[in-house]
Amino acid sequence: MLEIKGISKSFGGIQAVSDCTLDLKDYAITGLIGPNGSGKTTLFNLITGSIPPDKGEIYFEGVRIDGQLSHEVASRGIIRTFQFTRIFPKMTVLENMLLAPQHQTGEALWPLWVKRKRIQKEEKENLRRALQFIEMVGLLHLKDQFAENLSYGQQKLLELVRALMVEPKMILLDEPTAGINPSLIRKMMAMILKMRESGKVFFIIEHNMDVIIELCDWVFVLDNGEKIAEGRPKEIQNNPRVIEAYLGV
Amino acid sequence: MDLFLHLCIMIAIYIIFALSLNLEVGYTGLFNFGHVAFFGIGAYTSALLTLHRVPFELSLLLALAMACLWGFLLSLPSLRLRGDYFGIATLGFGEIIRMVFQNEVWLTKGPMGLPGIPKPTLFSYRFATLHLYLSLVLAFTILTFLILRVILRSPFGRVLKAIREDEIAAATLGKNVLRFRIKSFVIGSLFAGLAGALWAHYTTFISPGDFTLLETILVLLIVVLGGKGTEWGPVLGAIVLIFFQESLRFLRLPAEWTRHLAPLQQMIFGGLLILLMIFRPEGLIREKGKILNAGDKGDQ
Amino acid sequence: MPFLFQSILNGVLAGCIYALFAMGLTLIYGVLNFVNFAHGELIMWGAYFLYLVMEKPISLPLPFALAFSLFLTALLGTGMDRFVFRPLRHANPLTLLIAALGLSFLLRNGAQFFWGAEIRTYGFEIKRGFRFLEISITLNQIMIIFVTVVCISFVYLLFHRSRLGKSMRAVSDNLELARVVGIDSKRAIRFAWVIASILAGVGGILLALDTNLQPGMGLINLVKAFAATLLGGPGNLWGALWGGILIGLAENLGVLVISPGYKDAIAFGIMVFMLLIRPSVLFRRQE
Repeated sequence: MLEIKGISKSFGGIQAVSDCTLDLKDYAITGLIGPNGSGKTTLFNLITGSIPPDKGEIYFEGVRIDGQLSHEVASRGIIRTFQFTRIFPKMTVLENMLLAPQHQTGEALWPLWVKRKRIQKEEKENLRRALQFIEMVGLLHLKDQFAENLSYGQQKLLELVRALMVEPKMILLDEPTAGINPSLIRKMMAMILKMRESGKVFFIIEHNMDVIIELCDWVFVLDNGEKIAEGRPKEIQNNPRVIEAYLGV
Repeated sequence: MDLFLHLCIMIAIYIIFALSLNLEVGYTGLFNFGHVAFFGIGAYTSALLTLHRVPFELSLLLALAMACLWGFLLSLPSLRLRGDYFGIATLGFGEIIRMVFQNEVWLTKGPMGLPGIPKPTLFSYRFATLHLYLSLVLAFTILTFLILRVILRSPFGRVLKAIREDEIAAATLGKNVLRFRIKSFVIGSLFAGLAGALWAHYTTFISPGDFTLLETILVLLIVVLGGKGTEWGPVLGAIVLIFFQESLRFLRLPAEWTRHLAPLQQMIFGGLLILLMIFRPEGLIREKGKILNAGDKGDQ
Repeated sequence: MPFLFQSILNGVLAGCIYALFAMGLTLIYGVLNFVNFAHGELIMWGAYFLYLVMEKPISLPLPFALAFSLFLTALLGTGMDRFVFRPLRHANPLTLLIAALGLSFLLRNGAQFFWGAEIRTYGFEIKRGFRFLEISITLNQIMIIFVTVVCISFVYLLFHRSRLGKSMRAVSDNLELARVVGIDSKRAIRFAWVIASILAGVGGILLALDTNLQPGMGLINLVKAFAATLLGGPGNLWGALWGGILIGLAENLGVLVISPGYKDAIAFGIMVFMLLIRPSVLFRRQE
């Protein structure tokens, strides 16, 4: 589904990502691990179009997407979450969710006057789905709160279900379990597995190896901007090169 | 009684002006510090056209179109800029437009201004008296409020807020941030032009000195005092500030005082803005978003 | 032809003054990461302070007047920071900008309140001039160049040779880190304001000598200073210097072609042009 070929990116002399080639094939859940500063988030940024690559190509479902703008990439069905949650602080939980679906009729100006019925119908349907998702992660009682009033763990859950609201083809999760307590981690993993059953595809950056092992079908390892290994989680765990990368920092 | 009508008309016009800025600053998070430019463009366009015997209906429409057009033209190069740079760019644009009004004497009569702007006639109905003019302006004010309300409460309005909150998150969810910003800016410019046109036909004399930074500061103060990003904030702000400003104008003071009164009043506006930003940046009316029980924050 | 050279000379002179404005603005931008919308008023009050201390009842002789007025300007600059910008150090950027705009409005009208809107002059400008290869230059103008060079050298020494300069650079790089490492950021910031204010004050005085004093002189010079910082790269002191000179040249050469009424708009035009062709730091598509 997602294919990265020879991607490189440097920032003022520092090579953040160096000639990386990754093929996500049709794995349902793929992992991306590596020590801090190995270029994982940069890779995500390159995929989603936040920054353009210096070299290389990125293909999604056979179509080339490198160098496209963020919203264009998102339109193709790739949605991401962020390491430090980017929910909309002064909008309610519900508003955060309702914003998510793409190409809403009500987002253009003319339809506001001439297609009111259709917009109302869409809103109603989106509301139904939003409430469903919010309830799944236990945030229903907070639906009218400003997102900034939620705890960190709750915000992470919100970001996840907001991404799901978009009905994406592939979701990029940047350290979804960082900084939250174990029971919430369980909740999040359960959510991911459930979505996987409905056919959603995930690409996850993680530091928590338990999560990686339990969720991922395949794992890529980066170190210093280069891909140093890939394979099934169990193999990766025992890979000496990987161990060295983590320990020898 | 006349004073009262005058106050109402001015308040109504400034409500339109403030609502238009609120859309840009309060909802979309655009630091537009040159908004007066579109107020001026609307004023001059409508004034010039009606002075040349163009019927009011058409003049008004063209004034709105001009305001929109210039809003669009300005937005193209500048909306890609970071917040403070955009602020300076719009500030500069406001000054440039004033210079155009001042220098293009063949068109605008320059510093001498345009006197004798005719009262509007809409569908052969002449709005000559204060009462009639007030009803005209009120109609436009209510119309503006309702139109903007529909826009702000719609999915479109929701995207604007999201862009204000976090444009990167909005973009990664698939929203074309630049396009939404441009639309917001153009709509804001349109209604600013409307306010300008209505004002020109009310005061019947306009000159470049009416469209300075003072106007931008005033309308900005109205928006932030009343509560930016809310529906009624600009309304409340306009009532409070225009009342203050216009009442001062009608006080009978000895001549030596008036020389100092205008800058003093404006110093108060400036100081008020500062105090407001330090102590109560949300303004009088806050955006709704419940806090209720902090105990809801449990992770379960 | 001599007309052209004269314009170039005038351009460089105006450019020196703009360079002083821009350097102050970019210094604050570099250290605190925001565009001080009230910088124009700092310039304007810098000029008015000299007027104030030379007029009765204070009537200081010129050298003392200069020193004292610059001192007052520095006081104003640090006061701005202490009372308006410091409380808003961590606020929303829009809030900060609006406060700065309000401050500029307050200061501008303050000047108008005290001195009225009439145009004033210092009354001691030396108009004696020289003719050199068919170009005329007054003593005033020679002084402008001299003063600018002195200021720039001073700033250079300060920044690259002194400890305080190093700490200012550290603070500009990373405020939090600088604090953690123990650099007295408050002092560095205060010093940056002192320098920026003095640069603004000197520039304002020179401008007033070359032209005149009026309360509205702040705003348009803010736009020019900003255009110059953009040209030179935001936060870049030496860039601001070249930017200022370029703007000065563009203005004086530009009026050979377009109507003088739009002279002030040239700087804005350059800015817009720059924004259209240069994508880098200015734009939002970033992390």
